[in-house]
Amino acid sequence: MKKMKKAIALLMALAMTAGIASGCSSGETSSGSAGSEGSPASAASETGEIDTSEPVELKMYLIGDRTPDFDAVYDKINEILQEEINATVSVEFLSWGEHDTKYSLLFSGQEDFDLIFTASSWAHYEQTVALGGFAPLSEEFIQTYAPDIWEVVPEIAWEQAKIGGTIYMVPNYSNEFGQDVMAVRGDLMEKYGVEEIINWDEMKEFAIAAAADGMYTFQYGPWYQYFQNEGLSTLGGAPKAGELVLYNTQDPEDLDLYYILDWDGFADYCHQAKEMADAGCWSPDALNSTDERQTGLLTGRTAAMVWNMGSCLTYGRQANQENPDWDVTIVDPVSDLPKKVNPYINNGVAINANSQNKERAMMALNEFYTNPEVYDLAMLGIEGTHWEAVGDDQYKVIDESNYGVSNNCNWGWNNMTIQRTEYIEDRTALDDTYDAMMDEWNANIKEDHIYDGFNFDNTNVATQVAAVEANIDTYYNPLINGLVDDVDATIEQFKQALEAAGIRDVLEEMEKQASEYVASKQAE
Amino acid sequence: MKGNRVKGFFKKFYLYRVFLVMLLPAVLYTLIFSYYPMTGIVLAFKKYNYNGGIWGSPWNGLENFEFFFSSGQAGLVTRNTVLYNIVFIILNAVVQIAVAILLTELTSKVYRKVTQSLMFLPYFISWVIVGIMAFNIFSSDYGFMNNIITALGGEKVLFYTTPEIWPFIIVFFNLWKNIGYGSVMYLAAIMGIDTSIYEAATIDGANVFQRIFHVTIPMIMPTTVILLLLSVGGIFKGNFDLFYNLVGSNGLLYNLTDVIDTLTFRALISSNNFGMASAIGLYQSLLCFITVVAVNKLVSLYDKDYTLF
Repeated sequence: MKKMKKAIALLMALAMTAGIASGCSSGETSSGSAGSEGSPASAASETGEIDTSEPVELKMYLIGDRTPDFDAVYDKINEILQEEINATVSVEFLSWGEHDTKYSLLFSGQEDFDLIFTASSWAHYEQTVALGGFAPLSEEFIQTYAPDIWEVVPEIAWEQAKIGGTIYMVPNYSNEFGQDVMAVRGDLMEKYGVEEIINWDEMKEFAIAAAADGMYTFQYGPWYQYFQNEGLSTLGGAPKAGELVLYNTQDPEDLDLYYILDWDGFADYCHQAKEMADAGCWSPDALNSTDERQTGLLTGRTAAMVWNMGSCLTYGRQANQENPDWDVTIVDPVSDLPKKVNPYINNGVAINANSQNKERAMMALNEFYTNPEVYDLAMLGIEGTHWEAVGDDQYKVIDESNYGVSNNCNWGWNNMTIQRTEYIEDRTALDDTYDAMMDEWNANIKEDHIYDGFNFDNTNVATQVAAVEANIDTYYNPLINGLVDDVDATIEQFKQALEAAGIRDVLEEMEKQASEYVASKQAE
Repeated sequence: MKGNRVKGFFKKFYLYRVFLVMLLPAVLYTLIFSYYPMTGIVLAFKKYNYNGGIWGSPWNGLENFEFFFSSGQAGLVTRNTVLYNIVFIILNAVVQIAVAILLTELTSKVYRKVTQSLMFLPYFISWVIVGIMAFNIFSSDYGFMNNIITALGGEKVLFYTTPEIWPFIIVFFNLWKNIGYGSVMYLAAIMGIDTSIYEAATIDGANVFQRIFHVTIPMIMPTTVILLLLSVGGIFKGNFDLFYNLVGSNGLLYNLTDVIDTLTFRALISSNNFGMASAIGLYQSLLCFITVVAVNKLVSLYDKDYTLF
């Protein structure tokens, strides 16, 4: 009996201490992180030598799934890191399905880690900064602990990473084009007598012809192609992933914000979308489809696939291998306009505000970013197993199945100055089209627009933004997919719902921040 | 007098010590996983940030509740949530009781066991899978339903652009998924009925239906009422998995299928606003609490023995 009582007492004590401990932890860390901004530089000694005598194990979070050979590759990386900076990195993954929910829990749960992948708009950069999750990175800190990164990354990239004048991430450095293209069946183009698809009208003509033939062309309504043809782009940080407010990225002089419901183009698009949907250019179940983007093209259900150029090449190749008569080619339905390069903050790495080893974390990142050996390992895998070198700047794939090329969330430290390109042995017409288009795009990069680096911070109007977001899908999704009965009436309802939810407050705040941003840029 | 009572307490404590120890894990579990997290309610009144955590973040009054009511959808989604739950509760109870009674009346043991297991199976299927099954049944291109309809010479039905059909589909899937699990409870209650009552009824000349309506159903009434009261406790909570996986981002169906939980998800998923999410949780819990207390009171007016507390 006595034993039992003791056990109970012990259990109680345990439960209580657990409660106390968890209650306290949040208080401790808040005081800890406040002083962290100034301290890192002090670790560097007078001579400029950084003290790395203490071995450190860093923890990094990446997004995606662990490939079978991932650990073997990172063992190799750790050998190098051990030698260079006396540190090793252990990596945890947040899978594609769960990173939306788990990312913020890492911070609210006070998880102990050092580095984490982040990206503007699609991987939680702004939200986490707003909640104080990332360590601020001063220029001095970057120069001290990552001098090679400082050398490589252009000024504009750092500018884009700034929120409220402070940098919170190391942006990647590669020209990634934000505009999607189309992989389209060449045999069908011939069949319908469509010679080329270089603008909206030709694209629509092809889609209608395909629909008459019983083929879908798209997975969803081609809204992006429409507004891109008008020279517009989504605005960073605006509701619905930026789609609710657009700006004229092709004209640096045009500083207007286009709220889509005040813009005539939106209504025009919606009418055309309904026309196409009724004709059968995409499935009436588009809103509920869980198909991956390539499924339609590969299975022959749709005549085309809309995606970025790299994916169009990959799946175009696959489709041609499986069905040689399809003659899949790549077309650009927005070919009249100069090309927008994605903001460099579209991929990047940040340091956890509560990290105990911010300095070493930055040094490790420096290695990933600029040490060619580490870079090749992370991007391509082990030389001889996964790939072989062709010259100094090319690679040939040996076995892609267990690691994959640029498939392991190494995008945060993409660095086009040392990145190898693929060497292709038996080239097809598709490869030539791709290369030609890539060259054309690289030679035709558009002028910078001041809003390219702008990111709306919705903290002051969080209530209105949430209310607006709650209403968008009800009208927006059916409208852009042409699935409503009466386009004008639905647009009217959409307008009223958003007005009631407080969209004007949001727009007002957005205008204010945009003009402040413009003023601060012009002052420099 | 008072001393006696204290003494009595300790005496009883000692007397029932084994039972108390057996109770302990459940008590601890509830304390740690139900009562301790309840302190998180304060989040509903705070402007949360990572540095401050739950306790250190600044207060912001009722601001977190505002977005829900200013969205203009609060009435609609609350109505949907409650109506769906009322239908779920009543229909589930009726069908589950019917199934439980039918199962007990079956004479072939093997047949009974097989039927029961088959009905239990859907309970273990995730809603994600159910959502994909539904798409493959109702899709207009390759859907099973539309294949049958066109094979019989009919016109295709565009399920995913016809909101009116969805309340039936949703109720059906919810029923299908819960029928096996729910009927086990009633089955247990029926097994607990004294067989001598049935014998007496048979001797008095009662047929099967009379036995069911005059013995079985009255005898399982207390269990039924308690199970109903427990489910009423969640009447303002929409089953997120169910609605999200069946409806997804199809705005055309929202008028008839949007519930509080899916609306909140859409409003907050892009901003990770913990405070607002907690505020909606609190709103739902508060309404549920009021409903449970009220219904419990009503039941006590009818018969005190049936109440929860």
